[in-house]
Amino acid sequence: MIETPGLMPTEDLFPIFVNAMFTKNFLLIMFLGLCSYVGLTTNSDTSKGMSMAVTFVMTMSAILTWPIYYYLLSDASILKTDLTFLRTICFILIIASFVQLVEFIIRKFSPPLYKSLGIYLPLIATNCAVLGVVLLNIQEGYTYGASIIYAFAAGLGYSWVMLATAAVREKLIMRNVDLFSGFIGAFFAATMVALIVVSYFSVVKL
Amino acid sequence: MTEDLMSLLPPAIAVLGALGLAMAGMLVWASKAFHVESDPLVDALMELMPGANCGACGYPGCADFAEHVVAGDITPDACTSCDAETFEMIGELLGMDISAAEPMYPITLCQGGTNCKDRYDYIGADTCRAAILLSGTKKACSYGCIGLGDCVRACMFDAIEIADNGLPKIKKYNCKGCGACVTACPQQVLTIAKEHGPVYVVCASHDKPKYVKEVCEFGCIGCGICKKNCPEGAIALVQKVAVIDQEKCTQCGTCIDVCPRNAIVKL
Amino acid sequence: MAKKSFVGEIIRGIIKDNPVFVLVLGLCPVLAVSTSFANALGMAMAFTFVMLGSNIFVSLLRKQIPPGVRIPIFILIICTFVTMIDMMLEAFLPPMYEALGIFVPLIVVNCIVIGRAEAFANRNPVLPSIADGIGISIGFAAALMLLGSIREILGTGALKLMMLWSKDGELGFYPLSDIPGFSFVPNPIEFSIEPATVMVTPPGAFLTIAALMLLFKIMGDRKRMKQLKKEGYEI
Repeated sequence: MIETPGLMPTEDLFPIFVNAMFTKNFLLIMFLGLCSYVGLTTNSDTSKGMSMAVTFVMTMSAILTWPIYYYLLSDASILKTDLTFLRTICFILIIASFVQLVEFIIRKFSPPLYKSLGIYLPLIATNCAVLGVVLLNIQEGYTYGASIIYAFAAGLGYSWVMLATAAVREKLIMRNVDLFSGFIGAFFAATMVALIVVSYFSVVKL
Repeated sequence: MTEDLMSLLPPAIAVLGALGLAMAGMLVWASKAFHVESDPLVDALMELMPGANCGACGYPGCADFAEHVVAGDITPDACTSCDAETFEMIGELLGMDISAAEPMYPITLCQGGTNCKDRYDYIGADTCRAAILLSGTKKACSYGCIGLGDCVRACMFDAIEIADNGLPKIKKYNCKGCGACVTACPQQVLTIAKEHGPVYVVCASHDKPKYVKEVCEFGCIGCGICKKNCPEGAIALVQKVAVIDQEKCTQCGTCIDVCPRNAIVKL
Repeated sequence: MAKKSFVGEIIRGIIKDNPVFVLVLGLCPVLAVSTSFANALGMAMAFTFVMLGSNIFVSLLRKQIPPGVRIPIFILIICTFVTMIDMMLEAFLPPMYEALGIFVPLIVVNCIVIGRAEAFANRNPVLPSIADGIGISIGFAAALMLLGSIREILGTGALKLMMLWSKDGELGFYPLSDIPGFSFVPNPIEFSIEPATVMVTPPGAFLTIAALMLLFKIMGDRKRMKQLKKEGYEI
């Protein structure tokens, strides 16, 4: 029988926040969401747009999926059967539908934003970071409030790394060196940003 | 084990079915509530476009271009990025016969680069736009190519690079003739021309002859010998630099032979 | 269109269309799981299972799937296989399940699987789809194990070659030297270099993949330049 965590946060929120933003950063330490990371950090404007979209989708996904897991799938639910094996499919269903809804809304109310995000909007649905947040919320057994805060902090963590890498890469492009173009440059920039986090926050003893 | 299976099947189907129906219903409602009118022909054309948003057609993006093509403002062959296969498909879609226009590539109206002296040792942002701000540009000739690669960065097809002689070199197998590099050059020494045939004076320097001779090996000194010898009268002297009128030019090549500075080139 | 051979499709998946180094997709598990050879192998096997299952089923159903909702349906099919392998790993190989963590369920959003379903299995009959699946899986596995080996060798100074085997009735990942016939393989293979722990950490992962991509890019560029020179373009 799975114990359903409560709704209001009982855990220490500060460690959760710092973990999501730095020591267990989704992009650099957990390696989630890398496809959009290498694709979009050439330009700080697209990075900004994508970061906001991902943060929004992450938070909303956490809000929607937590109740589904604990009140529908777990054996503490009204159905009294352990359907937790359905979690992956249910979560992805909710996330994909939500992203599609967001796409409809953006297309209707802000065509320039829609044009600039282009193909990247539906790509958020298959972004490992979003599904990763949702799965980790369950794995860590967070309360509803804590899971929302964790998701939001994860989004912020994703955003700062995107913006920092965009800053590095835009400067790298200034150099006429073929070495730093495209994905290779993205990964070199990522190495630098990752080194900062790993050594400053003593994630691992180097 | 089959009892477990049978006991799990109904709730699993119920939950997944209910969730699926709920999401599908929500999306069906959303697609109607947030419906945006769009011409299916424009959408179909957009699918075929290369999507580079290079601006060669004169419109800010492929989406805009598709809209204007369907509206009849412009013909599809204005797109320099499409290859023959794509034009065939677009032609099929729109019911017209389209063939690619003659390929045009950028040329540099400057033979300076390493042939031209530097005015000073430049230490600063690695961009042409910054190097022209100080004291009449980093090169001794204020009108020539700086060679720091603003054109290279503007190219979205990886079709241009700065060669060892400090001048832009076009990789024709990638170049689509979109003209992004031409717009990006702060010295405006790049221009689009046909691949073979035209004759150009590859110098943009308006400096006095004595100065040009001092700083650049191939610069035009505005002596006017080409102008005198041109059988069509196609050459004019504009502030100490010769300019060939491409409309009048018959590409006979007389000017190339008489130029004392080797500043005229036939492509 | 020339008839493509089964083996030809497989080789294409490994080299010309290598999912990690050429298509640059599915990077998350590649970087996260390549901390050691054993983890890389485990992930590669799980991925192969999902890839083959998804390609076969999508190809079988390709005429029935309505185009407007094809992506959700692909995800549904892929998710079935992912849930299956997830539960199988949890039951039969708990240590590997612990090591791979959330990256097993995340195979469902792996761009490679969805990408190949959309680009290939949706348009081709079953047999070529199987070939494509095998090729892409081998390519993915090769990339993963290459990265895993490099990071393990440089990060710990030794390489532990492991393989899925059943020893005394227990299924698990055992050193290669335990398997009869391979006892000559040293376990672990020692390299006399000073280990650099950074290599098994995130910056090491990014650095390794950047270096490998650079290497392959240089090799590929050289080949392309030769090809273009032959066609007459001036370089």
